Amino acid sequence: MASTDSGPAVTRRAQARLGIALVAPAAILVLLFFILPLANAMYFAVIRFDGVNPNPPFVGLANFTQMLGDPVVWRALGNNAIWIAIGTAAPLLMGLVIALLLWNVGRGSLWYRVAFFIPFILPGVAIGVVWGWIYDPIRGWLNEVLRMVGLGEATTGWLGNPDTALYAVIATAVWASVGFAIVVFLAALQSVDADLIDAATIDGAGAVQRTRHVVLPQIMPIFLMVATVTLIGGFSVFDIIFVMTGGGPAGATEVLGTYAYSNAFQFNRISYGTALALLITILAVPFTIGLNRLQRRMSLYRTGA
Amino acid sequence: MEGPRRSEQPRFLPSDLGRHAILLVLAFVSLFPLILTVSTAFKTEQDVRVNPFGLFSSFSMENLVTAWTVGDFGDYVLNTFILSVPSTVLVVVISIMAGYAFARLPFPGRTVVFYLVVLGLLVPFFTYMIPLYFQLQGMGLLNTLPGVILVLTTTGLAFGTIFMRAFFSELPPELEQAARIDGASELQIFTRVMLPLVTPGAGALAVFTFLQNWNNLLVPLLYLPGGDFRPLTMGLYVFLGGRGIDIGPLAAGTLITILPVIVLFIVLQRQVTRGILAGAVKG
Repeated sequence: MASTDSGPAVTRRAQARLGIALVAPAAILVLLFFILPLANAMYFAVIRFDGVNPNPPFVGLANFTQMLGDPVVWRALGNNAIWIAIGTAAPLLMGLVIALLLWNVGRGSLWYRVAFFIPFILPGVAIGVVWGWIYDPIRGWLNEVLRMVGLGEATTGWLGNPDTALYAVIATAVWASVGFAIVVFLAALQSVDADLIDAATIDGAGAVQRTRHVVLPQIMPIFLMVATVTLIGGFSVFDIIFVMTGGGPAGATEVLGTYAYSNAFQFNRISYGTALALLITILAVPFTIGLNRLQRRMSLYRTGA
Repeated sequence: MEGPRRSEQPRFLPSDLGRHAILLVLAFVSLFPLILTVSTAFKTEQDVRVNPFGLFSSFSMENLVTAWTVGDFGDYVLNTFILSVPSTVLVVVISIMAGYAFARLPFPGRTVVFYLVVLGLLVPFFTYMIPLYFQLQGMGLLNTLPGVILVLTTTGLAFGTIFMRAFFSELPPELEQAARIDGASELQIFTRVMLPLVTPGAGALAVFTFLQNWNNLLVPLLYLPGGDFRPLTMGLYVFLGGRGIDIGPLAAGTLITILPVIVLFIVLQRQVTRGILAGAVKG
């Protein structure tokens, strides 16, 4: 921060005036369209509001106790957990492998990066439309390819089959997010100390050993950062499921986000929906803080070393 | 031919040929949905019915024409610009102002306000989207252009402010001290000395925010339920729900929705990647 040496009182007063004036628009918008609705969310969660009744009754924690006995909530939580596990691990691992393959590839590196990154910038709706075709039960490419390689028995209506729908949507999400991991890892790899790798090579370390013991420790803080981002994304996943399956078939892809949405906007259980949405945030906070701490500690360790 | 550092670089595969072979296959998988969209969008109506997903088996513009006229995608493109451009400008301008204040101007309450703004990065939108619906209704902003633009703007402010603050923090304090000795006012220091130095950052933020706004489905879907000013993402979603069987026009609509994003990304990919990297590392 500048301004420890803020100089004469006149300057400080002028700075404070300008500071308040410059922050005002941001502060007003954030208060009005973020803090206020967030506070309202907490209020909605302890009343029973159906969207119409002007004097909704206070119910305390009833919305939260209701969740405990709601089988859909438990199923959604389970799906969230699966999503978080696969949706975090797969982009990290694939991103790391592809980034290592791309590292110093020389020719065409830029075009590879563009090719891998494009899915990440596409709107979720468009992604949902096209992957819906790829998973099409009759003429979809996934089934076509399976038939071509002699796995005709494995063909199914990927999004219509409750056993496969969740994994099909996760696979799409992984496809869409792996580019982010690749680009971030590639940026991190640029700062890896090449001398250390040469030294390891001279000492007879193979490619896998070099990666594990020399490269990975150096990019670990960035690795954890990407893990944090994708993990939090896993808690709050909504868009892609909403577009591809809407939580169906028969609740097979229901996550807390989609269940909160349908409660609020389809069943008029505004308060219950809001309480569900709050639950996700509450669940995500300890993970966010924990991973953030770990990441910070590792960055400090690295710069200190 | 190859870079000077090439010789000292590690090799993870015995041959570069094998490496390129693997990367090409992966790049093809990465781009396949895009290829499929282009292929289906340009099919003739008859070909779509028989063979919707066969690659490049016919060529016609009829799907694009149908999507643009009957499917209203022409209007959706305009609406997307009407929603994305003002909110992008607002995010960039307001973030620059707030970012500068947080980085370089001491004022009472700075820490508290800063934490309130940053909280926006931790709380996902759908946590407060339901109460926000009723709030907008009460304020008379539901189903209005200003309502949606202000909400879109606010969702971008947390990232934008932190992003711009980082750029302003990096500038040396000698710059403002010298300007102050020359008799510049605090406002002049901001607009004439510091602001020109962060234009690359502001550009990256603008591109990144524009893409976010362009891709946003939930904000218009929730807060424009009346169907006015429907943007591309929402149009595509509604089309998918109502006429999802019309694969040809649906492919064309998808292409219309994603083409600007892809073109913008390829032209300005340095800015986009920079915004995302900075956001990831600093956020």
